[in-house]
Amino acid sequence: MYRKQVRRRRAILVVLVVACLMLISISISEADSGPLHSIQRGVSTVLSPVAEGASRALKPARDLVDWFNETWKARGENDDLHDQVAKLRAELLATEKAAEQAGYADKLGELMNGTGLTGYTPVDASVIGRSFSLWYGTIKISAGSSDGVSRNDAVITEDGLIGRVSEVTGGTSEVTLITDSSSGAVTARVVGKGPEGLVSGVVGAPGRLDFGLIQGDKEVKDGDRLVTAGFTSDSGLSSRYPADIPIGEVVETIPAEQQQREQVNVEPFADLADLSQVTVLTGGGE
Amino acid sequence: MIVTPQIVVRLALIVLVTVLLQFAFFSQVPILGSVANLLPVVVVSLGLLGGAVTGSVIGFVTGLLIDVLIGGTLGVASLSLMAAGYLAGRWREGYDIVSSLVPPLLAGALTALTALVYGLLTLTLGVDAPVSILAIREVLIQGLLGILLAIPVFPLIRRAVRPALVDDAGRARSRAAGRFSRRGGTFGMMRRQGSV
Repeated sequence: MYRKQVRRRRAILVVLVVACLMLISISISEADSGPLHSIQRGVSTVLSPVAEGASRALKPARDLVDWFNETWKARGENDDLHDQVAKLRAELLATEKAAEQAGYADKLGELMNGTGLTGYTPVDASVIGRSFSLWYGTIKISAGSSDGVSRNDAVITEDGLIGRVSEVTGGTSEVTLITDSSSGAVTARVVGKGPEGLVSGVVGAPGRLDFGLIQGDKEVKDGDRLVTAGFTSDSGLSSRYPADIPIGEVVETIPAEQQQREQVNVEPFADLADLSQVTVLTGGGE
Repeated sequence: MIVTPQIVVRLALIVLVTVLLQFAFFSQVPILGSVANLLPVVVVSLGLLGGAVTGSVIGFVTGLLIDVLIGGTLGVASLSLMAAGYLAGRWREGYDIVSSLVPPLLAGALTALTALVYGLLTLTLGVDAPVSILAIREVLIQGLLGILLAIPVFPLIRRAVRPALVDDAGRARSRAAGRFSRRGGTFGMMRRQGSV
């Protein structure tokens, strides 16, 4: 009896491990239009309304935790500033959502007009879910193909670039953040001077970006601001991201003597750890 | 664990609610520069209560569901959560839970292990980006948060699946018969043999 139980347990374990390995293998090797990805998209489409409902229902709880987080951070400040922050926070909590959205729209309008993104159609969306590990920086948003969102559309907030659409269903989309190691690098340039390079995520440090493969004579220094380069080649090859979207600021440069190559650490302008509302740039610039 | 259709429905609901909570709440609330991971805590709790097979299957299904929902590489979360569920179940089959500290500590350790396995699998599959030493801090923080989460979660899960637990059913029967219940005995022996 005991041996039979052990054999059964081992058999189930082996079946599950083999199933996992097969799923991983197929998931990686298969094209996006393959059957497994199609099933994944189908199930995701079915579950999305439930997830969106859960996200809306849990928003007050998230706000409460955010409130506690912010309170904890504010403890280090002086009494006057602390009182002021508490007052502002109370006002912020009392503010209508519509007013918040209007403020967001104003800032976004400034960003879009200032960066020449007026050829794109902005689609606002709420963040309804987020990946649970720092190895995948992905979020799910409440806008999909029915809103005009397409794969590889750039996604921004009022502060700057946050990522691109990596998967689309009817009413939701998955956004791969620029800090995700699988999102691919973003071509970027330093504002004013022009050295160009590639910005990519750093695994284990979700709030940091790496600026590498820098081309150009001028040196990159702390405080330099990076924007998307948005290149287009003669052959028609072009960047996924429109030009001149703010990305982040250089916070640390480590000379090549200490590393295999010069390392430039960049802090994104957008607070990627606390996203609630985002905008997808649809349609492509004309 | 006595698996009946009602218990299967309860387990399915627990998994669904856990995944939705993780997806829509815990993943969006940064704590100490990381996020709390409820998934391994629930999987470990069910492994501790139901044994290795229950833990493995729940880990597999939970991982599959979160991967489908968030669009990750299918199988990676399943494999790491399955390992946590299996190890928790093996612990339960080999040792008694002699202290109320055991479930949280085990949940914390296996949550850290899940994060580590998940990270190593992702690295093995190819990460085209520099890897920061801060990834180790992430593993440790997730373990710590796992301990804290398990303090309320384990009793809740135990309560939810109580009708299926042989120990609790045995105690209830003993109480009803007016006898003293003793830890171990027939049920303890059966459990150690992995037959329940």
